[in-house]
Amino acid sequence: MKRLLIWFIPGLIAGILLMLGGGKAIEKTSTNKYCISCHIHPASDASWKRSVHYETASGYRIACVECHLPPKGHGYLWAKGTTGLRDLWSYWTKDSASFDWEDRRRLETARSYVYESSCVKCHENLFPLKLSKAGEDAHLYYKQAKKTPDLNCINCHLNAGHYIVGYTHGSNKTFGSVSSIPKEIYKEPAKVSGFGSFTEKIPNSSVSFRMIAIPGGNYKMGSPDGEPLRKADEGPVKEVEISQFYMAQVEVTWDEYLAFYVQTAAEGRTTDTEGLRSKQSLETDAISGATPPYGQPDQGWGLGQRPAISFTFHAAETYCKWLSSVTRKKYRLPTEAEWEYACRAGQETPYFFPGDPLKFEKKGIRAKLSKNDTAIINSFVIYSANSHSRTQTPDMVRANNFGLKNMSGNIAEFCSDWYQPDAYANYPSGILKDPKGPESGEEHVVRGGSYLDMAGSVRSAARSFTRTADWLKTDPQIPKSIWWYSDCFNVGFRVVCEFDENSGKL
Amino acid sequence: MKKSSISRRNFLNKAATVGAAGIVVPSILSGCARETKIKIPTVSWLDEAPDGPVLKAGVIGCGGRGTGAAINFLSAGKNLQITAIGDTFKDRIESCRASLKEKGQEIPDEMCFVGFDAFQKVIASGVDLVILATPPFFRPEHLAAAVAARKHVFAEKPVCVDPVGARSVMATALKAQELGLVIVTGTQRRHQRDYVDAYNQVKAGRIGSITGGNVWWNGGKLWHRDNNPEWSEMEWMIRNWVNWCWLSGDHIVEQHVHNLDIMNWFMGTHPVKAVGMGSRLRRVTGDQYDNFSIDFTFENDIHFHSMCRQINGCASNVSERIQGATGAAHLEKEIFINDLAGTEIWRYTYPLDDAGKPSRGKMKDPYVQEHIDLIKYIRGGQQFNELENTAISTMTGIMGRISAYTGKETTWDEMMNSDLKMGPKVFELGKVDIPKDIPIAGEAYVPETKK
Repeated sequence: MKRLLIWFIPGLIAGILLMLGGGKAIEKTSTNKYCISCHIHPASDASWKRSVHYETASGYRIACVECHLPPKGHGYLWAKGTTGLRDLWSYWTKDSASFDWEDRRRLETARSYVYESSCVKCHENLFPLKLSKAGEDAHLYYKQAKKTPDLNCINCHLNAGHYIVGYTHGSNKTFGSVSSIPKEIYKEPAKVSGFGSFTEKIPNSSVSFRMIAIPGGNYKMGSPDGEPLRKADEGPVKEVEISQFYMAQVEVTWDEYLAFYVQTAAEGRTTDTEGLRSKQSLETDAISGATPPYGQPDQGWGLGQRPAISFTFHAAETYCKWLSSVTRKKYRLPTEAEWEYACRAGQETPYFFPGDPLKFEKKGIRAKLSKNDTAIINSFVIYSANSHSRTQTPDMVRANNFGLKNMSGNIAEFCSDWYQPDAYANYPSGILKDPKGPESGEEHVVRGGSYLDMAGSVRSAARSFTRTADWLKTDPQIPKSIWWYSDCFNVGFRVVCEFDENSGKL
Repeated sequence: MKKSSISRRNFLNKAATVGAAGIVVPSILSGCARETKIKIPTVSWLDEAPDGPVLKAGVIGCGGRGTGAAINFLSAGKNLQITAIGDTFKDRIESCRASLKEKGQEIPDEMCFVGFDAFQKVIASGVDLVILATPPFFRPEHLAAAVAARKHVFAEKPVCVDPVGARSVMATALKAQELGLVIVTGTQRRHQRDYVDAYNQVKAGRIGSITGGNVWWNGGKLWHRDNNPEWSEMEWMIRNWVNWCWLSGDHIVEQHVHNLDIMNWFMGTHPVKAVGMGSRLRRVTGDQYDNFSIDFTFENDIHFHSMCRQINGCASNVSERIQGATGAAHLEKEIFINDLAGTEIWRYTYPLDDAGKPSRGKMKDPYVQEHIDLIKYIRGGQQFNELENTAISTMTGIMGRISAYTGKETTWDEMMNSDLKMGPKVFELGKVDIPKDIPIAGEAYVPETKK
């Protein structure tokens, strides 16, 4: 009854307003002033005033409703009514200061508040004379990309309505070149004797990172049928034997990745479209690294010990090759089986800590009502409930039994296996020794879930995969970068290092 | 004004003739109930451009085609002028100027521009439209400059030589569209009356749905220029442009684009991939091939075969054949449609010559017709812009060329994502710093002992 009343009263008010004022009421309730009377978000007001939609060449200021409501005739009144009611509800029941405004700036969220039809209502001409070369390519792509309907204007123009500090949608040639305080420059990589954890040093840099010795053993890969929030691709459960290996304690950090980037960055982009002509100039021996990124790979969240993101699977593999060559060890991406073994660290439960995925996954009122204790998952995992929609540094979480951090959550991690939903079912029966996944495929395995995921997707057995086309959707460069994803900010990787039991060498 | 030669009565008469001969005809023709569904659009052709205020044109690229296009333009109607001309070379300016003088157009010295930047000066000289007829390599830049200056354009085909150029032209086409500029592109078959009528027949279902086809430009050797000790390498290349891939796009692009454009026009789209081969057997200068054979695949696995050759003493054939489920359109020296049994079911009604015989030669010259159409749209204030189509057809040729050069399958997506940009970075009359090897597809056999 109470709930009915809550809907009824604003409905009544809206109805009366409409009847009395008609068009005038609509007009009056569409001014910026009116919007701001309920939408108390001083930061958004300020960022709007700093945006190109406020300070326009013609002096015309684009109002809230011109982007945040569809144009008239495109469901304007309906959207106005429903959003109005939702806003009233929020105004009465919530504290706007408690909202995660940062989260609302993310593309995925912003999409539901900005109407594509409104963008193109004003921006009718996608090919104005002043359009740049990069713009031509990007708009040609947009025009032809009807097959990707979720490609919106704000994919590339996220800062059009609200200014974003440091937002770049262009070639970012200076990325990673900011020098920090001088530190000790390592001349030699770590020397390791015997199987034990060690700290690797990247020669010609001041970057080091911890490698954890993971003892070999057997475990059950995948999740049993009854596991809450389980998906079909996690089974059937397979008995797997894993040889001992080393795994990085944390996901590859920006410090580590930038050491690679700075030492190998290449400007050259080549495509083999002219047969013999271009092959003559190709060098194949040296490791040629990433070209400059397009946009802001760290999303403006900072570098340092935050996990590196936005680079491609190819870049991760190249990083491993490069790291192997400079440290004279065998670094590579983990196999999916190694990854899960390391994540579980001996536990057969959904997580490497106690807890029920169903209880952790509840959100909002339901979570409050059931008074779920999420303290334990919060202490181990950066996921949607505690991440503030961004990556966090490794010191925010506790390690698992092997001493590895962020295996679950923070960023999802590339594995070397091809992804197939039925990969486990296709393995032979019996104990698998160091399985390497299907022989071929289109996309690679991604494990661990990320800061964007709910509790169910950060379970030890949860599987995911790369989505190459989607992750390059708004890269306007032609050809698209093989080094940087333009639309994926929650995947990275951690390295493993092979240990030869016979020689005792890395 | 001349009416379309296809009247509905004429059409039904022919259908009736075929029926009387006892030949199986497509149901679309034999069923009375369905007959009414066939609608052939009436095309109204002008034999002369409508009159109006003086239209001033500038010519950029004063070689044979540029001069020819200028004269075609002048022949299209009244109150048409060429007021400025530009070329890289002075002698080209003079020869063009002389030809124009014969047509009563005197171009003063100050309206003749020489050099790589001549196009900018012609565009800025107060003309209403420009005729772009330089080697195709320069077209994307010239098109962009003309559209930026809000000029109407007659642009010779092809409109680029590489994928980067093609995309630039596609964007320019869309900018021109937004500005309402008129652009006609020298793919004159689209302004040729018998082609247009055949197209309308096919669209109306005369051959059923299109299932495939062939396009040919098999002809003799094109011209070449021998070196002249007074010329720099750049000058020789530009004067010899139909033999250099970076300037012409190779002959599959430069010449065969006409036929590829017909393929795309009738299909209403572009192929999605190409597998081809080609070689250089008898070419004298430059770096191009002189024969290509390409299998183009459209969506739904519809194949078109394209063949082009520039070698003397071989079988010649410049035509297209569109195969449909119930017949085939033959776009040859004359244009007609046969059913599957090979019986003619439609033929364009050509005007009669002096001896009373139907003659294609009596049809309005399509090279003039395209200018009549251009002026009709400009003076009528109508929107007409075929640049994007021509960019797509040029890209089709480029896709075929790259497949032949590399021996690989090439896809439309690859073309739209390729960063291949040909030609030197520096433009001056000196050495030209580009690779000049002849592309060779595939891998050479290496004996085991040498591996």
